[in-house]
Amino acid sequence: MDYFKNNLVNQLPDISELTFKRIHKDYLKVLVLTTLVVFLVLFLGVFFLKKNVEIIANFEYVNYFYFLLSIIFLLLLTVFSIGFSRRKYVLREKDVTYKSGVLIEKITTVPYSRIQHVEINEAPISRIFKLASLNVFTAGDSSNDLVIKGIKKEEALKIKEFINQQIDA
Amino acid sequence: MLNNSLFADFSRQSPKGIIIIYIKLLYKVLKATWFLLFLFLQKFSKINDDTLIYIYVGIGVLLIFILIRAYLLYKNFLFRIDENHFVLKEGILKKKNTSISFDRIQNVNFKQNLIQQLINVYEVNIETAGSKDTEIAIKALTIDKAEALKKELLQVKSTVEVVEREQLKPLLKINFKELLKVSLTENHLQNLMVFAALVFGVFQQLNDVFKGFNSEDVLDNYTDVNPGDIFNSLFLFVILFLLLIIVGVLSSFVRILLFHFNLTLFIREESFDITQGLLTKKSIILSKGKVQSIIVSTNPIKKKLGISFITFKQAVSGKVKKQQHKLIRIIGCKAEQIKTIKELLYVNDSNESERYVPNKYFIFRMYFRSSIGLLLVNSIILFLIQDPNLLWVNLLFIPLTLLLIQMKYKKAFYQFNEELLIFGEGRVETHLTYLPFFKVQNIKIKQTIFQKRKNVVNLILQTASGKIRIPCIEKERAIKLYNYILYKIESNKESWM
Repeated sequence: MDYFKNNLVNQLPDISELTFKRIHKDYLKVLVLTTLVVFLVLFLGVFFLKKNVEIIANFEYVNYFYFLLSIIFLLLLTVFSIGFSRRKYVLREKDVTYKSGVLIEKITTVPYSRIQHVEINEAPISRIFKLASLNVFTAGDSSNDLVIKGIKKEEALKIKEFINQQIDA
Repeated sequence: MLNNSLFADFSRQSPKGIIIIYIKLLYKVLKATWFLLFLFLQKFSKINDDTLIYIYVGIGVLLIFILIRAYLLYKNFLFRIDENHFVLKEGILKKKNTSISFDRIQNVNFKQNLIQQLINVYEVNIETAGSKDTEIAIKALTIDKAEALKKELLQVKSTVEVVEREQLKPLLKINFKELLKVSLTENHLQNLMVFAALVFGVFQQLNDVFKGFNSEDVLDNYTDVNPGDIFNSLFLFVILFLLLIIVGVLSSFVRILLFHFNLTLFIREESFDITQGLLTKKSIILSKGKVQSIIVSTNPIKKKLGISFITFKQAVSGKVKKQQHKLIRIIGCKAEQIKTIKELLYVNDSNESERYVPNKYFIFRMYFRSSIGLLLVNSIILFLIQDPNLLWVNLLFIPLTLLLIQMKYKKAFYQFNEELLIFGEGRVETHLTYLPFFKVQNIKIKQTIFQKRKNVVNLILQTASGKIRIPCIEKERAIKLYNYILYKIESNKESWM
């Protein structure tokens, strides 16, 4: 093992010494807006259930639901705003890396030579800000591929083009 | 070579295929309507003759309809080889055209179920790493045609592959005695679970049918055991326990017999040639390059007898749940056979390298999680069931949990040389995974906020056949490995699938 430690590692490109690029700042707005929409639906749901379903209306703790929902909502917003600056990506000559996470920090790297195809998705709210997400797929049991959410669509297209070139090369 | 291909024009299956398709369709219909049939037999005496005739005619028409359908399915199932694509046309009304390029074909396997064995045809399965729509099964081919098709599909490059089986000496051949030995040392608890799930499923279905008869008490009567004295229930418990053991052993035996009967393993230049199975005989050619990783497993008793089993993992297609049939398992391997297989797959395996164990945090985390689990169980007993006598289960649970955690921690390790990662895990059983670095498809490091304080991380290696998770290793070492594995993948030019 000494062989490995002394001779190889020092020359290897180090993932922890890379300068990562942040995702687009508008994506925070997208995150907030999406959560807002989801919780609005939830609040309305509780409201209507309380109005129309007798069992729930008679349930004495029903107002706690609003409280609970608000707490979750605020928690989510906090996590998003803390975690937002940690969503970073970097493209190297031979691989693409993405890292994120507040409670659980994650870093993933996919070498271009293992990529099966690349997809660009635009969610409705993202589209308002001209943002897209870049999905990278590998072969086989690929439940754990790499997704970079919240980059400018032109940027995403450029990256896709770049990766496709690297795959073909 | 291309022009004189046997399959340049569209060809059909062997005409015997009609029988296979017919039986398959019949089986489908029976599976969907068996309770109707059951009802019919039940009320047989009450049905008057006129209606009976209608029923018979109805069944007759159905049988003929299925026959016609089987014939049409056969007639419309056409395949050919077009340059380096396998082309398949199928469907009576809804036509489907599939084309698979040769380099996407993972494997071409032969299979024979009971009926196929009787009429002496082979089912040819073409496996790809793509989506599940491109899994192709040709139900009935004669052996000559099947062999020829396989040869063309896999584009046998080296002439060495053509060596007849008879001239090869099998590396491994499991006879009945060894099969017995293997099945006795299986994980009976697991097999019992599988069997129980099976029985439960059938029971559910039966229950539904009986409910239809308005007589659910037929089955419920049996569960109406009188609450006897302690001695009685203890006696019953012992009997039940013995019965469970017997059922467990039996189900292991049946499973091993069904899947691994007459297991033979040949080594060829570039592949393993495996045949096994009792009712469904499977013949698999596993090319070395397509093996993603292997797992060598054993348990304490097997270890005493000097046997273990190897699981070969190949790329699985898409998000198919049926991954089981892609796992190729070789049971009853002796130490030297495992050594041979390892040497064939991984040249650079011999040098002993240092073993690394997970950080102490790993065992701490297990203690923490189990105590939460135990706490939960206890509070359920105390507050929901409210039977303090049940708290005695702790006497069994706590030592068992502690023992299992200790065993798990002892068995977890990882070591590596330049090309290969070896990862050990298990509680009672021991599993050693061998993964060449360049087979990895993406690599991930995860760290929870608790792990951050201890500066440990989980390293997750995703391959085409699933992921390997190395828990709680020092961050510094994980990053070194991360960089090294990436270097290994990116500097590698071999095909990995």
